[in-house]
Amino acid sequence: MTCRDPIDYETLVAYWLGELPATRESMLEEHLFGCAHCTTRLEGLAALASGVRMAVNGGEVGMFVSEPFVEAMREAGLRLREYRLEPGGSVNCTIRAGDDAVISRLRAPLAGVERLDAVRTRGGGEPEERLADVPFDAETGEVLMLPSAAWLKSMPAFTMRVRLVAVGEAEERSVGDYTFNHSPS
Amino acid sequence: MPQVSPLAALDDGVLARRIAESGAAAPDSAAEAELYRRLAPRVRLYGLRHLRDRQAAADLGQQVLLMTLERLRAGKVREPERIASFVLGTCRMTVLEMRRGTRRREALLETWGDVAEAFEAPEPVVLAPDRLAGCLEALAERERSVVVLSFFADKQADEVGAELAISAGNVRVIRHRALARLRECMGAGEDGP
Repeated sequence: MTCRDPIDYETLVAYWLGELPATRESMLEEHLFGCAHCTTRLEGLAALASGVRMAVNGGEVGMFVSEPFVEAMREAGLRLREYRLEPGGSVNCTIRAGDDAVISRLRAPLAGVERLDAVRTRGGGEPEERLADVPFDAETGEVLMLPSAAWLKSMPAFTMRVRLVAVGEAEERSVGDYTFNHSPS
Repeated sequence: MPQVSPLAALDDGVLARRIAESGAAAPDSAAEAELYRRLAPRVRLYGLRHLRDRQAAADLGQQVLLMTLERLRAGKVREPERIASFVLGTCRMTVLEMRRGTRRREALLETWGDVAEAFEAPEPVVLAPDRLAGCLEALAERERSVVVLSFFADKQADEVGAELAISAGNVRVIRHRALARLRECMGAGEDGP
């Protein structure tokens, strides 16, 4: 099973996400329907997309997200628990068996910030973890943190501190510290 | 290990010609099963891409392929050698009909009855969930956000860019790099998924 003129992966991705112009899409579909090799590669991409959805739905992946993504999670029927923290704030938090995800809204003065890092520290002598260049919304002044629900559900009580750091060319400055006192439900 | 059909070496057009020449009175069951098996993933992927729904894509696959076999048997496919184009055209028409709410699949299933159950479509590829979760975790924060935002709800680069306050071009660059790392982590080769 070979192809003399295989479609490059980036074009397959653009096709899958509906980014190609109609004529290009039509030509690509003609090729795909006659080519088992390229179909197999597209099937791999479809499996990856499906796997990503399953990982999110199953709470297997932690990350920083956008407001529309939170809306998409709600529309997909996921049950969300939310916490909102101001700079310097702390919260007693948990995740219940019926929760699919926990969203933490970290409020911060983000106007003019070009790059934001998040520095996480957990008690128990664990080393500090710096997450570079996390997504944020400067307009709303919010960072939406979505920890892995599966991981949270497996955890005993612990305290986690998060510091948001605005990184500029010459210097960096803290824009907020947040404390999460997690207890299992 | 699944058995390889002796017809596997024939190309799609040759199989279609055999089905057309056998007709409905003495159908070439082996050629029909092989063509169905071969085309099913292509139609399912077309359905997933355009309908974004697993069940609707499966329904599309069954409907389009039964219609194709029916037309071949009846000698109503003008150029069996170009069967791939015929199937693509039927997919396009059927998706439009499905969007309009027309239901032709039930009538086809009534005609084909138990015969339809004899056709086997390969199961969709499924990636190992634990491994994929580990590979996603290994990405940089922004890479993971771009990949997840892109594929959770099938969003284009400009939409993802608007959500993350970066340009569509930048999203494509990050997406490209992240997918390469994911595929490497998952052990996919150049020709693999």
